[in-house]
Parts: sequence; C-alpha cells; structure tokens
Amino acid sequence: MRLCIARFFVAVSIPLVATFSLVAPSAYAIPAFSRQYQTSCSTCHVDFPKLNDFGKAFKDAGFKFPKDDETLLKVPHVLLGAPAQKEVWPNSIWPGSIPGLPPIGLRMNTFFQVTSGSRDRFNPLAPNNAVPQFIPATDFQTGFFSIFTAGNFGSDIAFWVDDDISVGGSNAAGGLGDGYLKLVNIGRVFHLPTDALHFRAGQFELDLPFTQARGINLSPYDIYSQSNIGAINALTGQQNVANQFTFAGAARGLELSGGHMYGGYHYSVAVIDQNTSGINQPANTSPFVPSATGGSSGGVGFASDTSAKALYTRFSYRFNLERDEANRKEIQAAGPTGPRDHTYLNLGGFYLRGNSRQAFIGAAANGTDTTSLTVHEPYYRAGGDFSFNYRKLNVYGLYMWARDNNLLPVDADGNVILLPFSDASPLPVRFVSSVPAKFSGGFVQADYLALPWTMLIMRWDGVNSSADRINGFTLASGTPYFAPLRSTRTRFTPGVQFLIHPNIKADFEYQFRPQQSVDVATSATNLQAAQNAFRVQTALFGLEFVY
Amino acid sequence: MFTTYSHFVKTVLVLLAGSVIAYGGCVSGKISGGKGATVVYIEAIPGKTFPAPAKHIVMDQKSLLFQPHATVVLVGTTVDFLNSDNVQHNIFWPSLAGNKKLSHNMGTWPKGEIRSFKFDTPGLVPLLCNVHPEMSGFIVVAPTPYYAEADASGGYKIDNVPDGSYTVTVWREGMKAQSEPVAVAGDATADFTLTK
Repeated sequence: MRLCIARFFVAVSIPLVATFSLVAPSAYAIPAFSRQYQTSCSTCHVDFPKLNDFGKAFKDAGFKFPKDDETLLKVPHVLLGAPAQKEVWPNSIWPGSIPGLPPIGLRMNTFFQVTSGSRDRFNPLAPNNAVPQFIPATDFQTGFFSIFTAGNFGSDIAFWVDDDISVGGSNAAGGLGDGYLKLVNIGRVFHLPTDALHFRAGQFELDLPFTQARGINLSPYDIYSQSNIGAINALTGQQNVANQFTFAGAARGLELSGGHMYGGYHYSVAVIDQNTSGINQPANTSPFVPSATGGSSGGVGFASDTSAKALYTRFSYRFNLERDEANRKEIQAAGPTGPRDHTYLNLGGFYLRGNSRQAFIGAAANGTDTTSLTVHEPYYRAGGDFSFNYRKLNVYGLYMWARDNNLLPVDADGNVILLPFSDASPLPVRFVSSVPAKFSGGFVQADYLALPWTMLIMRWDGVNSSADRINGFTLASGTPYFAPLRSTRTRFTPGVQFLIHPNIKADFEYQFRPQQSVDVATSATNLQAAQNAFRVQTALFGLEFVY
Repeated sequence: MFTTYSHFVKTVLVLLAGSVIAYGGCVSGKISGGKGATVVYIEAIPGKTFPAPAKHIVMDQKSLLFQPHATVVLVGTTVDFLNSDNVQHNIFWPSLAGNKKLSHNMGTWPKGEIRSFKFDTPGLVPLLCNVHPEMSGFIVVAPTPYYAEADASGGYKIDNVPDGSYTVTVWREGMKAQSEPVAVAGDATADFTLTK
C-alpha cells in the first residue's frame, strides 16, 4: 500500500511509452491533395513529408492554395448551401462546402533492421535463472498502415485527422495522431492583418520548431522523446520526479497562432491537457460522477490527470535573405531556373510550463490513518532553435532545457524519506523542495538534396540527463540507454533517402549510439562506476509509400 | 459603271481562288494507335525555305496545366510563354528534337508575365515545369507550313500542299513518331498505325 501510485504507473507505462517512442515516427504526405488539385507531391514537398516553402504556405492557408484556390481545384467542392444563404443568416445555416472527393490518403511502410553484435552484451541483465531475451541480428518489421484525411470546408475552416490503423502488423494497436479543426484567419473578425490569428482545437502535435510526427527521419529525435523521470535510488541522491511529458506525444487542447512559416513572424499559444503520470482513463468508470459523454460511467473518459492545464508558447521569425524585396516576400523565391525555397534564416524559441501531479499514500493528521497525498511539481521546458537554408542545403537544430521541481517526501518527524519506498519506509506527511531534476539537449541536422530524388542526411542528437545516469546504475527498465557511461548521451545518424516516385521512398539510417555498460564496479573511493563500455549500433532500412 | 467594275473584281477574285485551289493538293488520312494530341507535318523540302511568321503563338500555364497541351508551329515562330496562375511557374525543355544539347530553362516568372522564345530548330519540344512535375506540354516545330493537328477520331487533313514527293511525319503523345513517303498530285492519302 505504501507503493506510490504514480510510481506504479511509471513502472507500467514507461516500457510502453519507450516502445512506441523507439519505432519510427508517423510521417504523412497528403496524396489526397494531389487528387484534389491533380498535382504532384513535389508541389508541396521536398522528400515527403518535409514541406517546401509552398507546402508551408498551403498549410498556413488551411490546406488551400494561398491564392485562387477555386481556379486551381480540379475537383470542385460540393456546396452545403448556396453562398447567398449568408445574406439571410441567422435565419439560415451559414453555408459551407465539403471536398468533392473524400480527401483520403493511405500510407504503408515496412522496415528491415540490423543490430550490431554487441546486442548480446546485455544478457547479464537477465534475472538469475532466466533466459535472456534474444535480440536478432536482422529483422524484417511491418511498420504502420495509416489513414489520413485533411482539407478545408470552404469557409476558412480546415481539418486534419490521421490514424494508424495497424502498427507492427498487429492489425490494430494504432491510434489517433492528430485530429483537429482549424479556423483560419479568424483575426479578420477583429480587423487584424491577414493571417494574424488562427484558432484550432482538438488533438495535435504542438507547434514544435521541427515536426516529429511529419518528419523525414526514421527514428525520432531523442530530445523530443525525453521524459524527466528522476532517480529513485539511494546511491547517489534522490529525486522524486516522474514526469512523463514528452514533446513526441500529441497534445489535446486549444491553440491560437498566426503569421507564416515561409517568411516573417510566426507564433502560437496553446493550452493543453496535462497527463504527466501517464494514467490512462479511456472511460469514466466512476459511478458517482456523471460523464458528459456517457452518463454516470463510460463516455470518452479523461485524458488529464490534473485539473491544471499546461501552457505552450512559441515565437519565431524567418528572415528571407534574397536581395530583391519583392522576391523576399513571395512564397517561393524566383530562381534562375525555376521557383525554389528561399535562402533564409529562421530563429525561434519555445516555452512550456506545467505542473506535474503525483499521488501518494500518506499519513493522515492523526498519525494512524492513511490518506491520499497529492504533490504538484511545477516544471518547464524552454528552448531555442534555428534553421538555415541555402538552395539545396538545410541545416537546422534546437537546444532545450528542462527543469522539474523536485519535492521530496517527509515523514511525521520531519525527516526526508529515502527513496525508493519500501515496506519499511514511513508514510509521508508532506513534501519539501530539493534539487530540481533537469535535463537538456537537442539536435542538429543537415539535409542536402543532392538530386531531386536523393536526400542526404546527417544528424546529431544529444541529451544531458543526470537522472539517466543515476537510473542507469539501478539498471532500470524502460530506456534504451541502459547504463550510459556519461550524463550526456549522443547519437550520430547519417542517412539517405531515395524517392523512387514522388510517393514512394526508400530510406536508410545508421545510428551510432552512445556508449553503454552493464558492468558497474565500486571504486577504491567507494564510488559506483560503469566500465567496459560498448555501443549497440543499428542500421535501419525502410520502404514506404502513400497513395 | 460602278456595277461593271464590281463585277470585274469579283471575277478576278474567283479566278485567283480557283488558281490557288488548283495549286494546292491535300494530304489526308487516319491515324490509329494510341490516343492524345497528334500532329502531322511534311518534313523539310530540300532547297525550300519558309519565312518565319510574324505572329506569336501563346503557350499558357493556367490551372497548373499547359494550355494548349500541344501545339504545332512553323520553324522560326516565336512562342510567348504566359503564366496565368497565381503561383510561380517555370518552363524548361530537356531536349529539342531529341538533342539534349538544345535543352533550355526559361527561368521563373509570376502571374501575368510573358517570356518569349524563338524556335529555330524543327523537332519536338517537350515542355516541363520544375516545380509542378505533373505539368506536361508539347510544341512541335514543323519545318514546313504544311501541318495539321488530328481530330479526336485520328483524322487529319493538310491543305494547300504543292504537288511533289514528300515525307509525312506523325507525332502523337506517348507513341513513336512515324514517317511515310507521300507523292502528292492533287490529293493524297497517308494512314498511320502508331506503336509505343
């Protein structure tokens, strides 16, 4: 009973989160738009799903051509009311439209992975008398089969839904990626400049500097997958932080945004649910609390584990660097041999503020009964980013800092309770501040479009987390970096991608992973130290198509 | 007096017209095999040149399409490339008459602007846009003014062809071009069956 509830869910859910974070991220191009406009994927993408400047403008405009959309649309929308109905509103429903063809796209990918021989070095980690898991040197894997739909309803209302129908060949196990409605340019109601204010609601990837869900990489950015799980052992100090928030996950909430991604300013402010403990309540099972969507039990459940909402903000400014002013303001630059992406420098920053929630069984005021204790630990994530583009070369990256307040449990005598809890531990009655749990890191990536169908990629990922190192000594599960030798773990990931057709791609990534160890020794000064370092490298081949 | 003069002029005009008709033969026929834009023309006639037309031909880029999709012009014709879309376009051709050395890129220009090019080499010009790879257009630069575009059923007719022996060439999108010798003495017929 003294088991901290939050810890229980951490123990259960981290392996699941880690499993999902290790597989390739969802990535979408929109063949639905190709059908509507009868144009190629490469109108909006360089090496799908990476957007070119025109694709960014298309997205900014609510999945429409920024100008003359009606004339370029080859499949006319179906009117849901004559435009003249607007004149008799509110005595009629405001007319809208739906796409003439269901704008549906499908995507399938498959992988082949090779794991280096050092994978067997982890065998000593298996419990006594247990056969260690066998890690194959080579493996074919089915990836995702996904459906997605996006477009607009004619009156500056855009929509997007994507869902993984099947993951890993399981014919299920997928889930909703993004699903939202976006009111484009609602600032016109307030006489604001064009595109100064948009609004969207639903489930969406936060307005990250560089998308994870729609990126070109086979493996996710490490910093986006980094949660802040503090040390829970008594060897090297203790941290009572179990914040599972990561930027890799989709957020649920509301967002205001404005500006353009192809030039000038861009901002967003989002208010989102918090679920830092990872508790999943897909249905409301309380018989006492009526559910707005399902009576006294059932319904769609709850996504939050706290009433507080997290706030995410981002601001960036993109300097298009063409000398000619008119050219700078165009969506794409006028190159001597055709339109191309601008030469630009984009600088930005982002900030997320929230309160993580942990619940414990604690001692009541009378000292004998138990009660539920809840601790809210403020946390933030802040970072800066840049992107520089020159012709076919795009270099970009971000660096991020993370800090979680660390509140340690205190017993009735005012002593800090050593973690992790055991049956012998006293019940906590309150919490005191301690050294915050922090991590930092980021990535830098260079994409070079050697040929219109060949993208060369070099990427560096780095995460500095003292918690990783400390946790490593305890051989905790749930992280691919089992016992990092250093607080900073880095990964180099060269890759190459070939477009067989604009909608078919072959990918390759080689992941030079950081040094790890399963051999921990005690030094003469009685300090713990990992030794006999080795690396587990992986090579990943992918094939994917969208249609 | 006036009536007499008018009658005289009409008579002369009729005679002139008759002489033209008598001078020009007609090459016609049917083209089968494949579908799509089709151009038929008489190949160069040794020792004979034709003045370049002063009139420009317009090739438009509208709704992400080349409009017309295919056209035929006399060698020496200047083609005006117009962008009618509110997106930037580009036009280039990777070869001219199959010669990659004659490839050319016209650059980028916005809506409403025109860039012109004079085609002095006969042959096929496949038009492409490097930002909208699905866009495709064709200009057939004919060496003689004796050309025609086939109708939807594949029928064609080239009028006013002087009597003589010529080579007639057919180009149809997606099919192999084909040539046939034709002797024109009045009317002549040349049917083609194209293959890929």
